[in-house]
Amino acid sequence: MFYCDQYHVPQTLEEAFDLIQTNKGSYKVLAGATDLLPWAREGRGGDVNFESVIDISKITDMSEWQLQGDRISLGANVTIQQLLEDPFLRKHIPVMAKSAVWFADDQIREQATLGGNLVNASPAADATPPMLAMNAELTLQRKYKGKINQRKLSLDEFVKGPGKTNLEDGELVTSVECDSMPGYGSAFEKVGHRRSLVISTVCLAALVSLSDNGRQFEDVRLALGGVGPVPVRLHESESCLISKPVETELINKSADLAVKNVQSRTRQEYRREVVFNFVKRGIIEAMKDIETNYAEVDKNIKPRKNYG
Amino acid sequence: MANFDIQLTVNGRQVSQSVSPHLRLLDFLREELHWTGSKEGCGAGECGSCSVFVDGVLMKSCLMPVAKAQDTIIETIEGLEEQGKLNVLQQAFQKTGASQCGYCIPGMMMAATAALRANPHAGREEIKERLGGNICRCTGYQKIFEATELARDVMNGTLPDDLLKQENDEGPFIGSNSFRIDTSSKVTGSLKYAGDMVMPQMLHMQVLRSPYPHAEILEINTSAAEAMAGVEAVVTCNDVPGIDGFGVFTDDQPVLARGKVRYVGEAIAAVAAEDLVTAKEALKKIKVRYQQLPVITKPEDAIKTGATVIHEDVPDNIVMHIPIRKGNVDKVMAESDHVIEDTYYTQPVEHAYLEPEAGLAYLDADGTLVIQSPSQNITHHRHKLAKILDLPINRVRMIMSAVGGGFGGKEDMHYQGIMALAVLKCRRPIRYVFTREESIIASAKRHPFIIKYQLGLSRDGHIQASRIHMLSDAGAYNCSSEGVMRKAAILAAGPYAIENLIVDAIGVYTNNTPSGAMRTFGAMQSQFATECHLDLCAEKLKMDPVELRLMNFLKEGDETHTRQKLGSVSMLEVFNSALELADWEAGISNSRGSTRSDLGNPGNRPPCTLGAREFPQETVSAGQSA
Amino acid sequence: MNAPLRKSVRQKRGRGVAACWYGIARTATIDRAGAWAELDDGGTAKIITGVTEIGEGILTVLAQIAADELGIKPQDVTIGDNDTARSPEAAHAGATRQTYMIGNAVALACREARKRLIKELAQEWEISEDDIVCSNGMISTLDKTRCITISEAVELCKNRGVVPVGSGSFTANHTGLDPQNGSGSPWQAYVYGAQVAEVDVDTETGEVQVLGVWAAHDVGRAVNPQGVEGQIEGGVVMAVGQTLMEDYKQVDGYPSTMNLAKYILPTSLDVPEVSSVIIEDPDPLSPLGVKGIGEPSMIPTAPAIINAIYDAVGVRIHSLPATPEKVLAALREKRDSADSVEKSAKSI
Repeated sequence: MFYCDQYHVPQTLEEAFDLIQTNKGSYKVLAGATDLLPWAREGRGGDVNFESVIDISKITDMSEWQLQGDRISLGANVTIQQLLEDPFLRKHIPVMAKSAVWFADDQIREQATLGGNLVNASPAADATPPMLAMNAELTLQRKYKGKINQRKLSLDEFVKGPGKTNLEDGELVTSVECDSMPGYGSAFEKVGHRRSLVISTVCLAALVSLSDNGRQFEDVRLALGGVGPVPVRLHESESCLISKPVETELINKSADLAVKNVQSRTRQEYRREVVFNFVKRGIIEAMKDIETNYAEVDKNIKPRKNYG
Repeated sequence: MANFDIQLTVNGRQVSQSVSPHLRLLDFLREELHWTGSKEGCGAGECGSCSVFVDGVLMKSCLMPVAKAQDTIIETIEGLEEQGKLNVLQQAFQKTGASQCGYCIPGMMMAATAALRANPHAGREEIKERLGGNICRCTGYQKIFEATELARDVMNGTLPDDLLKQENDEGPFIGSNSFRIDTSSKVTGSLKYAGDMVMPQMLHMQVLRSPYPHAEILEINTSAAEAMAGVEAVVTCNDVPGIDGFGVFTDDQPVLARGKVRYVGEAIAAVAAEDLVTAKEALKKIKVRYQQLPVITKPEDAIKTGATVIHEDVPDNIVMHIPIRKGNVDKVMAESDHVIEDTYYTQPVEHAYLEPEAGLAYLDADGTLVIQSPSQNITHHRHKLAKILDLPINRVRMIMSAVGGGFGGKEDMHYQGIMALAVLKCRRPIRYVFTREESIIASAKRHPFIIKYQLGLSRDGHIQASRIHMLSDAGAYNCSSEGVMRKAAILAAGPYAIENLIVDAIGVYTNNTPSGAMRTFGAMQSQFATECHLDLCAEKLKMDPVELRLMNFLKEGDETHTRQKLGSVSMLEVFNSALELADWEAGISNSRGSTRSDLGNPGNRPPCTLGAREFPQETVSAGQSA
Repeated sequence: MNAPLRKSVRQKRGRGVAACWYGIARTATIDRAGAWAELDDGGTAKIITGVTEIGEGILTVLAQIAADELGIKPQDVTIGDNDTARSPEAAHAGATRQTYMIGNAVALACREARKRLIKELAQEWEISEDDIVCSNGMISTLDKTRCITISEAVELCKNRGVVPVGSGSFTANHTGLDPQNGSGSPWQAYVYGAQVAEVDVDTETGEVQVLGVWAAHDVGRAVNPQGVEGQIEGGVVMAVGQTLMEDYKQVDGYPSTMNLAKYILPTSLDVPEVSSVIIEDPDPLSPLGVKGIGEPSMIPTAPAIINAIYDAVGVRIHSLPATPEKVLAALREKRDSADSVEKSAKSI
């Protein structure tokens, strides 16, 4: 069970940092609580008692997003449901919606935050692979001697291992920046033993853009989750395809290159086979998705022409 | 410490209170405000029985520290009713028979309400996805979908509202779809299950459970726990005044561990205290010294010579062996044209009723011990309790509270005895509510089986001899193992006329969670093997699996495997009806899958691919559900 | 009118069938249930027996039975709680026994109560008891020349100093089994069932979805057909869970699936469409002819699914649950052995 002596709900970042300061050594930051409460139970974390809980979910600064050139900055409190349903986000970071639909269920998505999911760093997390594929960078802030210090870490620098990150004492993840990718086709493949409320055994995020004539890969992004201690970006599989023709043989090769990333302690053979299948399928589904996106492309962005 | 001031609106009423900050919204609603409609089925956001609206957004209240509900508007199931009348959705649930045990229903109703608020024209696929966070263990969801669609259509005016009324008001009633008489209490959230019950001066119980699968208990020291402020009683096996031991067939299980523990999760001691936090703290103060013993986890190991003995009075670890013998299997099998063998395995299964175990126990005004709990056999339990407590049988009263799902898992008396001991000690009412985790590890599971199957068939497909050997892990205590072995054995060879049979069902003790009664009681496991094996035989004989069965089915007047003469046998009619309903295409067993012409029958749902909120366009016209 | 199929190499469909049988009420031992009935004021009735609803619909079934026996409506019937200090023994809620054992006991109790009422009315009206019938809240002579409400009849009965109560005990004459060869008559009523399952197998991940189940079950006599369907639908889904995803695990005796995140259950997105047909082969040994459905509804499902997987992709899964890992491993093994057969064929 989850126990605490004090529960604070700061309305601003300043307030949050002040609370961190006052409660040094005995505080716990939480956002959606959707990971913490299930964890604080028999068989997992057991009974946990925090002196001070600092709930940052009401800090409105952290709930917004904005386009900054070809990057998007998402506040850490953006909910998974927003990633699924908001039209702006669906256009600019389409792969997130595809992964979000697999994330638990509507009710949990309304509470779960992007920041919380990334900080939790579960090897089976659904939000991490797509973020990795979009070159995500986290902004970390800390108050030190009255001043706010800020640093940025790429997502793969941030996640160290299962449940372990490079978040330092007193630091908060305030926002996540990633590529804005309208016009890309995307896909998210996942295995689970059923359809809802699933914890991944394997998942893949794929984003693809093609040349104007549709015969060549312009850009490919691939990231895998649930195959090792941390999610992985499949650089080799990507470079195998970028600027190369769209050919089955190359797609197979790309998929094959991904297989060695399976580092899980259990079910290795199964995961290898599935990874191979997912990479292939993810690339193809992402390509099919470009057709669907085509009609929705913003007037300000040059539309892709017909595919020959 | 109640140091967090909360203000919010619940079901239209302003609430202002000081609460302990660790409470979840669910606890606040249920324990502080007594809105017990929302339930705790798992406490971890998996089952949805706690779903409520927070500022119009459906959320799982077991995942919300109460502070998150500050200045919000909360709607619970109790808020759905309109002036004491069921709203359209509630009436629709009643009409389609969508509620069975009722425990998931409050959360499910909230989810269905959310689905229709989000999209008043939602088709079935969208409804399914929006209900994807709410688990039901009883209904299979189908009538819940139908109810939601019916409500949708009535609210949109595409169907008239007198479709919500009962069809037949005139009798005869046998054969008619009369409204379930328990539905209204369930769709309003007003029915109280044991965990919803409160009584003045009520204490809260927590139980210390074994961390080891097999260990001798060298010492239990409860003095520190007993000395704690707020603790009213601490009980161990030493508090049993009568003859210890309960069970369904043999009384091999002590109320609280006696001398040793035989499985992880076995109850050792219990505390009754003023509040849950104190009870849990007291548990930590009970000191137990163990000497671990060798552990048996496989039934094959339990029956080896020299295996560790789990129950002293059962030196061979065999709980029950049920044999069936008929004819001359050895001879006939050797003479059969085909002898086909294989081995099948079934797993231990958790009942997962949405309502975790709970009970309220107290002494009546005249000193009678009363226990309200969702027990599936209060008659049997009362017998056991009277003997254990050394009380005349009419001084023990067991009341069966509404059961939020049983499936056999609430047939064992694995906590009522503990509650009784504590009540007798402190003379105050006690409530005990299991967490989901506790329920899973402490209660009995479905028996796993290893089934060696051998059939001897003639060239044309007649089953001439059957040899079925079933070994089952009965776990640490008998529970219903004896009966499960018996039923498994009797039904194993299936509804087929077989003259020569050797069937053995053997249940053995191990240090695993006890196996006990679960829906079908061994018949599902044994017939799983039979029906899979018959298909294998059809494949080997290059026969149609339907023809193979038709050739061998029992008929009226036939003798069963236990030599009972049958009266009427409807097997043929039932079988043909299923095939006809499915539009089954005849053919031999050669994995002809995609070449079949009978696939895609309208009785299929589409394969689910979880599109990212891209639901198929469905046009719903009057009288048609998607 | 089959809908067009998706042409796909990756997803493969198949169908399987399985049959089953089951015995009603307690196994190989005599079974019993008792009940009390009272025709109460206002044309209502009280039924007390050892029953509390566990979700299967027993309260409604009993109310319908009582309603027909007494000539009133189910909503006029009040059923008391199951309480060892207040209700007669009806034994346990399990073994698919309640409709059979308790339904029949309630019918017998109602008949006795009705008989008591009719006896008084017959004497009052100076006619034969055989000449009186109850239905639709009315009690009348066969030719309808004399007709009053049941409510009035009960008042009349009570004014004559008699309370129209009744009790019933129903016995199922099962015998034990011979300890050597198992012979015996463990049940007096048997039921039969059969199901067809259609599955979709993803050959790239091994995931199996059950798309449709068609079920036929003999229930003797369906008291509430919608309730029977609900039990079939629920039983099928419980079986789908056990066939594809549920697995209680222990490692060296330590449970490792102790919450619902690890021990996974079918959600609304996992369930097949279930179509049911109810067959009625009434039991000749009991007053009502009813049998039961609660447990048999889930017996044919698992093997039907396993047989359907074979039909779809040519592999037989021998152990439950048929997880994606097992299915994919079986497919791989099949592929590998086909390859090696091919290779050795080529090398000849």
